Order: sequence, then C-alpha cells, then structure tokens
Amino acid sequence: MIPFILRRLFSVSVTFVIVSILIFTMMHSIPGGPFDAGDMPLPPEVRARLNERYGLDQSLVTQYINYMGGVLRFDFGIPFQSPGETVLELLGRAWVPSLVLGGLGVLIGTPLGILLGIAAALRRNTWIDYLASAVATLGLTIPVFVTSMIMILVFAVWLNWVPASGWGAPDKWILPIAAYATIPMATYARYTRSAMLDTLNKPFVTVLRAKGLSETRIIYQHVLRNSAIPMVTVFLPMFIGTATGSIFVEAIFRVPGLGAYFVSSIRTRDYPLEMALMLMLTVMFCLAYLISDILYAWLNPRIRAGGRKG
Amino acid sequence: MTAALELRGLCKSYPLRDPNGWLPRYRELRVVRDVDLTVESNSIVGLVGESGSGKTTTGMMALRLTEPTAGRILVGGQDITRMEAAALKPFRAKMQVVFQDSYSALDPMFTLAQIVAEPLHVHGRGSAREQTETALDWLERVGLHRSYGSRYPHELSGGQRQRVAIARALVLRPDVLIADEPTSALDVSVKAQIINLLQDLQAEMGLSILFISHDLSVVRSLTDKVAVMFNGRIVEEAATEDIFIRPQHPYTRSLLDAIPVLNPRDRRDRVFRSREDLEADIPRLSAVATGLPPAPTPRLIPHGPGHRYEALVQ
Amino acid sequence: MSAFPAPPLVDIRDLSVSFPQHDGVVQAVRGVTLHVDTGESIGIVGESGSGKSVSCMAVLRLLRSPPARIEATALSLGGVDMISADNRQIADTRGRVAAMIFQDPMTAFDPVFTIGQQIVETIRVHRAVSKAEARSEAQTLLTRVEIRNPASILDSFPHQLSGGMLQRAMIAMALSCRPQILFADEPTTALDVTVQAQILQLIKQLQAEFGMGLIMVTHDLGVVAETVDRVVVMYGGKVMEQAPVQDIFDSPAHPYTRALLASMPGQGGGRQRLIEIPGASPNPANPPTGCPFHPRCTLADAQCAAAMPAMSQTGPSRQAACWKLA
Repeated sequence: MIPFILRRLFSVSVTFVIVSILIFTMMHSIPGGPFDAGDMPLPPEVRARLNERYGLDQSLVTQYINYMGGVLRFDFGIPFQSPGETVLELLGRAWVPSLVLGGLGVLIGTPLGILLGIAAALRRNTWIDYLASAVATLGLTIPVFVTSMIMILVFAVWLNWVPASGWGAPDKWILPIAAYATIPMATYARYTRSAMLDTLNKPFVTVLRAKGLSETRIIYQHVLRNSAIPMVTVFLPMFIGTATGSIFVEAIFRVPGLGAYFVSSIRTRDYPLEMALMLMLTVMFCLAYLISDILYAWLNPRIRAGGRKG
Repeated sequence: MTAALELRGLCKSYPLRDPNGWLPRYRELRVVRDVDLTVESNSIVGLVGESGSGKTTTGMMALRLTEPTAGRILVGGQDITRMEAAALKPFRAKMQVVFQDSYSALDPMFTLAQIVAEPLHVHGRGSAREQTETALDWLERVGLHRSYGSRYPHELSGGQRQRVAIARALVLRPDVLIADEPTSALDVSVKAQIINLLQDLQAEMGLSILFISHDLSVVRSLTDKVAVMFNGRIVEEAATEDIFIRPQHPYTRSLLDAIPVLNPRDRRDRVFRSREDLEADIPRLSAVATGLPPAPTPRLIPHGPGHRYEALVQ
Repeated sequence: MSAFPAPPLVDIRDLSVSFPQHDGVVQAVRGVTLHVDTGESIGIVGESGSGKSVSCMAVLRLLRSPPARIEATALSLGGVDMISADNRQIADTRGRVAAMIFQDPMTAFDPVFTIGQQIVETIRVHRAVSKAEARSEAQTLLTRVEIRNPASILDSFPHQLSGGMLQRAMIAMALSCRPQILFADEPTTALDVTVQAQILQLIKQLQAEFGMGLIMVTHDLGVVAETVDRVVVMYGGKVMEQAPVQDIFDSPAHPYTRALLASMPGQGGGRQRLIEIPGASPNPANPPTGCPFHPRCTLADAQCAAAMPAMSQTGPSRQAACWKLA
C-alpha cells in the first residue's frame, strides 16, 4: 500500500507541474494585461513601472520560475484587485463561506440522497421508487440557478420563512445550502439506487437468504457494504464542487465566497489570484482522487488482501 | 499430403506485473509452452484440458487472433506466423472459428442472412444477390429453414444460434475449422444434434476440425485424435480410442478417471491426486520408460504408432 | 400417535410457479409432485427451462414473489408449511432444516467478507454460540470437506480461492447447522472435470455421514448415475418419470428418458454419430398442448397432443406420465 501511495504522490506532483505550466502559459497568452487601458487609461510610464514592479516585463520563463519559487515558500503574491492583502489572506477570507455552503450542502445532501436511493432500491417499482427517481432526474437536469430561483420564490417571497439572500446570520444560510444540497442529493440517489440493485441481483444474496439470514441483516450487513465500494469513488471528487459548483448559488444568494473571484480574476487579469485558484483546484482534484483510490482499495478486499492463496 | 494445420513449438507468455515493490517488475507468465500439434486433412482432432491449461490460447494463436511469443503456424504447409494483414487475408478465409457463447458471437443488429453472408462480402465472393442466396442455402444446410434468413439472433434458441455460427464459419468453405467448446453451453438433447451436424459437414466437405473441449465424452464420440493439455503443455497425444483405452500420462489417467459413470452399476470410490502429486510423477515415469536418470526437461516420447506422452528424458 | 408414518422431509404436491411478463405468463413449473424421505437422495434431471431449479427455489421460498406466483396443495420442509409460514419462520427454516449449494461457487460468497466470517455468521444466525466457538466449529467443518489448511482458508477472501476450494467451503457452510436436507443446484457444472468428480464424491460421502436428505438438481445424467438413489425426470415444467436410479438406466419407461439416455455421448468406442432428439425444448411462455414432449416424441399421436397423461404406476416404486407406456 505504501509504495502505491508514494507512486501516486509522485504522479500528483508531476501533474501539478504540468498543469501549472499549462495554466501559466495560457493565462499569459490571452491578449492584454492587468494594467492595460480600461475606463481610465494609465500613462505609459506608470504602466511600465507597474509592469516592472510586478516582474511582468521579464520573460515568461523567468516569471514562471520566480512564481513557482514563491509557491514553494507558500508565497502566492498580492492580488491585483485587492492589493491590501496577500493572495493567501484573500483565499482564507473568501473560502470560509464557500466551505460552509459547499461542505454543509454535501454533508446534508449526501445522506439524504443515499437514504432516498436505498428506499428506491428496496421498494422497487413502488411510488417511493418513482418519487426518488423523479427527484434524482430533476435534481440532475434542472440547473442549480433555476432550483435556487424557485426556492427563493417559494420559501422567501411567498412563505416568507427565510431571508432571500445575504450571508451574515445562520438563518440566511438555509436557502443557499438547501439549493446547493440538491446536487449531491440527486447524484447520490441515483448512484445508491443502481449500486444497491446491482448488488441485490448478485447470486451471493440468494445464498445469504438460503442460509437463513433475515432480510434486514442481508441489507445492512452485506448489500450496503458491497454497494458502498463503488459509491466512495464519487464522494470526494464531489467536494471539489464546493469550490466551483457553488459559483451560481453564491451569485444568486449574494454569498461573499470564492465563486466570484474565479470570474473576476480572469476578467481583470489578476494573474496571482487566477494562478492560485487554479493550482488549488488542481491539488484538490488530485488529492480527492488519491484519497478515493486509497479508500476504494481499503474497502475492497480484492485489492487490499491481494491475490490467490490456494 | 500436407497437413491442414501444423503448430510447431508454439509458445505464449504474458508479462505479469508484480503489484508490490517500488519500480515496476515483470515476470513471465507462460500460458502455452512449446506446443507441437498437427491437424491432418479431413480429420477431427480434439484438444482437451481443464480451465487454464492453455487450450483456448492455442486455438486463438492458430487463427492468428493472438500473436504467439515463439513457434510457427503452418496452414496447408505455408507458414503464416509472420504474415502481414494483406497476405494473411486469403488464409483467414481458409480458417474459421466457432465459439462457445453463440449469443455474443452473433451481431444482434444483423439478420441471420446478413450474418451468414458477411464473410462472403468481406472476401468479395460473388454479387450481393449471390451472397444472400448462398447464405440462405447454408442456413438450410445446417438445418434451419430459409425463412429464418430474415430473423434476428435473439429469436433463436441456443442450439439454433450455434447452427447459424457454424453456417457463418463454413460459408467460405474453409479448410480448417477451430471449434472452441461449441457444445458446452447447450442442452443435453441439443448437444447431440450439433455434434452430428459437425460430423456430417466434416465428412461432406473433407474439413479438418480442431475441436477444443473439456468434455471427454463428446471428444470420444467426435474425434479421430486427441491431444491432452496440462499447464500449457501437451502431455499426451494419440488416436482417440488409444488414449481412452491406454492412457500413459498420469494427468490423462486422472482426467479419464474423473468422467462420470454411464450407469450407476459402475459407481466406485475414486482416489484423487493433487496437481502437485501429478507433476511430481513425471520424473518417476521417465525413469521407468527410458531406464535413464531423470533429466530436467520434459519431452514427448513415442509409445506405439501415433501415440506420444510427456516424460523426462535425457 | 405413531400409527401415522412420519411425514416426508420434503413434501411438494401439485406445485405451480409462473412469472407474469408484459406479453404473457411464463409457466416455469406446472403441477409438480415429489417427496423426499429422511436420508434419501434424489436427483432432479432436466434441461434448461424444465423447471427443476425453480421448483427447488420455490420450496425454499427463494423466488421474489411478486413477480413469481407460487401455488401448491402442499409445500413443506421438515414439517414446516412454507406457504403459510411468515418471514421469520421461513428464515429460520432455511439453513437449519434445509440448506442449499449453488452452481457457481465463485459468485456465491460475499466478496467483502472472509470465508470464516461467512461460515461463522451462518452458525450464529441459527444457534446461540460465541464467535470463538463458531470459528472453531467452522474450522472442523473445513476439515470435514477435506480442506488441508483450514485456518488459512478461514482467513481468505473468496477471490483468493479456486472454484473447487470455494465449493468445498460452500458445502461446509451449508452443513454448519446440520440440515436435514441439502439442495444442490448443479453444484459441479461450473467446475473442471477432475474437480467435479471430487466434489460429487464428497457430497455423497457427507450425505451418508450426516444422514441427511439430498436433492441433486442437474442436467447431467452422469452426475445422477454417480450420486443418487432415486431420479425424477422433468421436462417442460412437468415430471415425466420417477424411479430408482438403477431402473432409470436399465429400463427407462418414458420416451423422453429413453431418448435422453440414448443421446449421451461417449457410449461405446470410436467416432460415431449420436442418437439425437430432434427439435428444441418447449418455450415456457407458450408450452405445447398435452404432453410437453409430444412435438419431439417419435411415438406421439393425437391423444398426446390433446391431453397430458396422468402419472401412472409402472413398477413397485416407479411412475411415469405417458400415454404410450408399454
């Protein structure tokens, strides 16, 4: 297992370097720069001084090496759009609402989805199954900004139970989290249902019945456990969505999270912030897949316990 | 007279990756080792063995569907081992195959006439009209009515599908047919029909068949010669009745001993031997057979006309 | 009280099993009657679609119902009426009164638990023993099925073992609660020839040692010739003939049994044409009228096509259902 993890960590670092080079070149190959003419054109000498100060006058290779040197010391630079703080400070500040929104959304949506999926699988072709399938299909096909609008209309405007937007107090969290939770819920309802049905149709389930096990025990001891193996592989990558998937939800509910910076950093050519966001995503993706692979191997005796004995 | 199919020293090994360890390390998994086998023209040869013995891989190599690691394949005396696709094409027409699972071997989107006509189309034999006509003739020849031409594979029973697979294999009038467990998935009452069909077509067409099977009873009723495979090697080869009456290799004996009795009157307690025991037997045998001290490599030694079995010889 | 003979271990009377489909009803079993006495071994022989497996699954109530529709005038296992029994009684009967082993041992075990955990689980579902006791019993059982290194096999996961080893472990698990009857559904079909012979011999030995009943479901007359006392021949969801095993092979009464025996390959020496049964097995969604075998039977006439003959006594302990019995 340890050689496996180390090999994977090595490939993660290679991926990291390749992705960083790609993003860096692509980012700089877009015409224009951060101090180019906008509403208020800067005098050329000022622009030259600014470019020099931020090292933008050097060759791309030098810029990249300098940047990566900083990254190794956890120095991601100063965001152009908010020069009063470092990129790390900005990320730390803006990530909290995103993490709360996305994290709670996943943590609430996942168990609900799993329960819905189990109920659908166990009561196949009854109204529970149809309801669960409908929820799953709608949750996956209706874009989250439409769900959000409907929720605002129903719970904030008509019923007036909760505020329509904002982030300050916990009562303002309810709607955005609920809206965000529909994604993991729908995904998991579908996944769980098909994983459970798949397992229930396996011959060993008949053997368990023939041994005299109760249906409850078969489901909880055996079927769930076998179905969980394919399900862990989707769980962690879903957390990545907490950084990106919530862009729409954050915008609609005016949550001061990271989502807005993904858009603004690209629009304003805020190279340091753009780079930091992209690298963060890369690392999260790689780690999420690494962890799910380890979990998968650990849960699955075929990989964990190795090959043939006798 | 040249043999229809000759395999000379055929080997197949796969690199097997060691999952533990820092750097990838490979060892060799030898699936087929040094197989010599001749399928004489106008005869049926049985290739018998248990799962993992390498019998299917041998068949696939003979068809050039799996590339051998070493050795030569001769079809009608011509070496096809290294032939490029274009040169190989006429030989592909001379060698056809029927598999065990007739359901997945037939394209579900094609009608039976299309399925049987396809090889003719691929090899450019005749006009489209003639191809369909020949296909329908073949359906009839394997015992299906011409009207079946417009049906689809899922409308047929397992036995009927296997008939279609045989028609498709024989429509090009090949010299060699490789049949890999063609009756294993069939019902008892249908199995005999397919075996008889193969016998009849073989006799009518002067076909040579390599019949790969684990079912010794079927092999006994169908073949002229049998080769027994064990651990990737041919351990014994002889005329069919010779092998059933005078088996020499311990593995052949244990295989024959395991055949279920045909009448409850013949029930007996059997003594079973493990694979390790069987393998350990080979050197001892050679000492008896040759009077020489055991040597490290097993070889096939002759035992009467056309009969060979594996033993260690100096 | 003891004036009445002991009820049979397995008592099936007039069992019908059907599966409604969107375009009709598949009649898998159509009026099967059979019984097994204590310690008796019977073989149910038939081809795919004959209803042999479905009958056994129905007695153990292993068919999902719905969709399966099960009807019978009697369906009992060790005195337990499996039709009126509730879920708890059914679960209690399975494994304890009647155990079952299946065709493909490679898929019969839960892949995420060790063999030991799965045998221990079976023991502890039916008996109040500690885990340690159950484990030592499991180890003894593995020795009984001639496994040489039982401790290491107990700690193995299914994917680490060969098919033959798994089928032995399966048999050990089935015997763990000392069932009165063992259902074996094609237990050797997925195994290699040499392993098949070993498993059959093992089942035969253990059946005698444990004094239990055995129902061997198979398509292979050779398996029947090797293992059982009495044979039930099924075709098209119906019983065609039943008789002591030697009688079936020496003097088959039903034309289907005769044809089946004649078509067995490997009889007599030398390459030869086999005696074949023309046609194909009946379609269970649309079975022929009358006797299901009549479209393929050389003796059939109008009467055979019109009505199914009743079971009639053809000897002291044998019956067959045919209009043409000599």
